[in-house]
Amino acid sequence: MSSKYLVKIVSSVVALVLVSLLWVLIISKPNNDRVSRSTLLGQSAPSIVTATIDDQPFDLQRRKGSWVVLNFFNSTCVPCVNEHHLLVDFAKREATIDNGAELYTVVNDDSDDAVRNFFLKNGGDWAKLKDENGAIAVAFGVARVPETWVIDPNGLVRLRVTGELSEGLLEAQLDKLREEFTS
Amino acid sequence: MFLLVCVLLAFGATRSGGPQTQQDRIDLVTSHLACPTCSGESVFVSRASAAEAIRTEVARQVGAGIRTDDEIISYIEQRFGSQVLLVPRSTGLDSLVWSLPVAVLIIALSLLVSAFARWGRRTPIAPSTDDETLVKNALAETAQDSNES
Repeated sequence: MSSKYLVKIVSSVVALVLVSLLWVLIISKPNNDRVSRSTLLGQSAPSIVTATIDDQPFDLQRRKGSWVVLNFFNSTCVPCVNEHHLLVDFAKREATIDNGAELYTVVNDDSDDAVRNFFLKNGGDWAKLKDENGAIAVAFGVARVPETWVIDPNGLVRLRVTGELSEGLLEAQLDKLREEFTS
Repeated sequence: MFLLVCVLLAFGATRSGGPQTQQDRIDLVTSHLACPTCSGESVFVSRASAAEAIRTEVARQVGAGIRTDDEIISYIEQRFGSQVLLVPRSTGLDSLVWSLPVAVLIIALSLLVSAFARWGRRTPIAPSTDDETLVKNALAETAQDSNES
């Protein structure tokens, strides 16, 4: 095979690969999906034994039998503040229905007083869990807040939502899960 | 001498580092993990709260003495994803990071060796009869010109 022919083949292959990569970049859609993957989905939820900011004991194991929603929160995080009214509405809705979910805030790298003041000002009477040294966040793989997780009555992780909630997202996902996993 | 160097290098590369303290293990594991909220920093050096939380968890697991260093790294990877690994795994698709440069180097060296060999074998081009005639004529003309002058 002559070297001229070889050069033509190699440069054509390189050009084809580059054009393919460019095409993949052009057609791929940005990942705006808030419902995220996790190796914990379908697995038993990590153990959470802690206390609320009002010093009430909390053990996730003891919540079996109920749908549990954990919202990782920091009072200085803008998306957390933005989504708060949606959580307030969600908690009100869940309180009125059978098999309604229990909502808990997991305080992430924030002081108890700041969280207490935030909830006094913005509403929300559900329990706020302390996360000493970020142990709960690491157990769930939460690096940035807000994140929202749903755990089914058997203690299995069913949903992870990263970032700010959109209106109706949590309700729709939870209804779907209840339909799918409630026997 | 070469053999001695090879033996010493092999010994140095394979010998155990001896008993490690818990702090050594924590430092080693956290230096292999990337801080999930910062760019280009390991958990070992980062002061971000997420990195501090991971450091605390690594320290807890090392203290508990149940998991090996690799198992602790795998635990953190399972939670935060493979982007938390500073050193890519040598299995699965990640192994391409290690094998691809070696493969490219081997292919490039092979091509170079084959190209040099081909150049070395290349026979000199023999002049054709027409070429020889042209040269003869040109030389004759030059000789004639110099005689006339």
